[in-house]
Amino acid sequence: MTSALPAPFTAAVTTATVLGCLAYLAAAARLRARGDAWPYGRDALFCAGGAVLVAGVAEPWGAAPPFTAHMLTHLCVGMLAPLLLVLGRPLTLLLRTAPVPLRRGLVALTRSRWATAPALPPVAALLDFGGLWLLYRTPLLSVSHHSPWLNTLVHVHILLAGVLFSFGVLALDPIRHRPGYGLRAAVLLIGGTAHAVLAKSLYAAGPPGMSFGTADLHLASQVMYYGGDAVELALAAVVALQWYRSEGRALRRAGRPGPGGAPAAATRR
Amino acid sequence: MRSVLSGVLTGIGTAAFIDETVFHQLLHWHHFYDKSTTDVGLVSDGLFHAGSWLAMVAGLVLYADVRRRGTLVPRKWWGGLFLGLGGFQLYDGTFQHKGLGIHQIRYGVDLAPYDWTWNGIAVLLLVTGALLLVRASRTPRPAAPRTEPRTPTRTR
Repeated sequence: MTSALPAPFTAAVTTATVLGCLAYLAAAARLRARGDAWPYGRDALFCAGGAVLVAGVAEPWGAAPPFTAHMLTHLCVGMLAPLLLVLGRPLTLLLRTAPVPLRRGLVALTRSRWATAPALPPVAALLDFGGLWLLYRTPLLSVSHHSPWLNTLVHVHILLAGVLFSFGVLALDPIRHRPGYGLRAAVLLIGGTAHAVLAKSLYAAGPPGMSFGTADLHLASQVMYYGGDAVELALAAVVALQWYRSEGRALRRAGRPGPGGAPAAATRR
Repeated sequence: MRSVLSGVLTGIGTAAFIDETVFHQLLHWHHFYDKSTTDVGLVSDGLFHAGSWLAMVAGLVLYADVRRRGTLVPRKWWGGLFLGLGGFQLYDGTFQHKGLGIHQIRYGVDLAPYDWTWNGIAVLLLVTGALLLVRASRTPRPAAPRTEPRTPTRTR
């Protein structure tokens, strides 16, 4: 009954994550050696994200009832790990340290309309929460339980959609357009609602085609509900802090004359 | 105006927090899910729930911003806070509990005294908030030194 992920998948994710974290640390070290500032907190956040991701696919809570265990994996892979990884600003780091030809390609990519469209908050939210509704409100979950490949695919989608959502809503890394605060807050509100409603409805009725125990269903539903709250609160706090800082910059610009008496021009935001 | 808005948002967030911790988690009076809940009720509840968290964050950051600008009017903020607290509770107690039947305050008891107390307190909170705001707008300005924006350049 347990839906343990296929061993090769777990091994692949673990290897890729460890390599990714090492590459991140090496790049950050190179940046600092060069004299650029790169807060250590970002290294810590990114590596913590990696650790959560590995824990998520390794499922150390194997003894938990099956749906609750699945939900803990979902929380780690789809919400917490993406948040922490995105807070490490990997794209910014890559843009600053990659070899020049690669950097050119990356810049072109982050400026192109089609490549950045999935990171637009409404699109990312649809991919993320739409995917969740599909998973829990169609027979998809029960089918994927019998197919390791499909199960793997589902988890890859959960991870990527989670990363896209955090990436788009937080808008920390430079891409084509930084969405406004209103849009990001609205998407957080609607996304949070979709998540809360789905979580609560699972309390009453589990995914079709699955037969989880009532206690398991209840616990899993609450894990999803309150876990989602915690991550949503963190996302909102980061967005609010960005707003606070940008208001502060605007205040300083308005209050302090720039060099040569001219007000510091609003050349960059 | 931002003082009021910040107060209202913080009030909504605080009321939601108290509701969740005291009545759901500590007392177990409210239920996580009531089997008779309708789909509309569930959506309204989810929206309300997500919204109250966002209101808390927005209210606090707005408070910090108003303070930084030196334009905080404490009495207006408190007025807003009470409006937010009362507004949350009244909406929750009338529309969500009664109109949509999401859950009730308690189970297995006569609900009437609980409902009257719950909504009565909500109305009291709203009236307090309104009175504070009226008083704040009647006094033309708070004490003199507050009128001058507190050196925005000082920040950092």
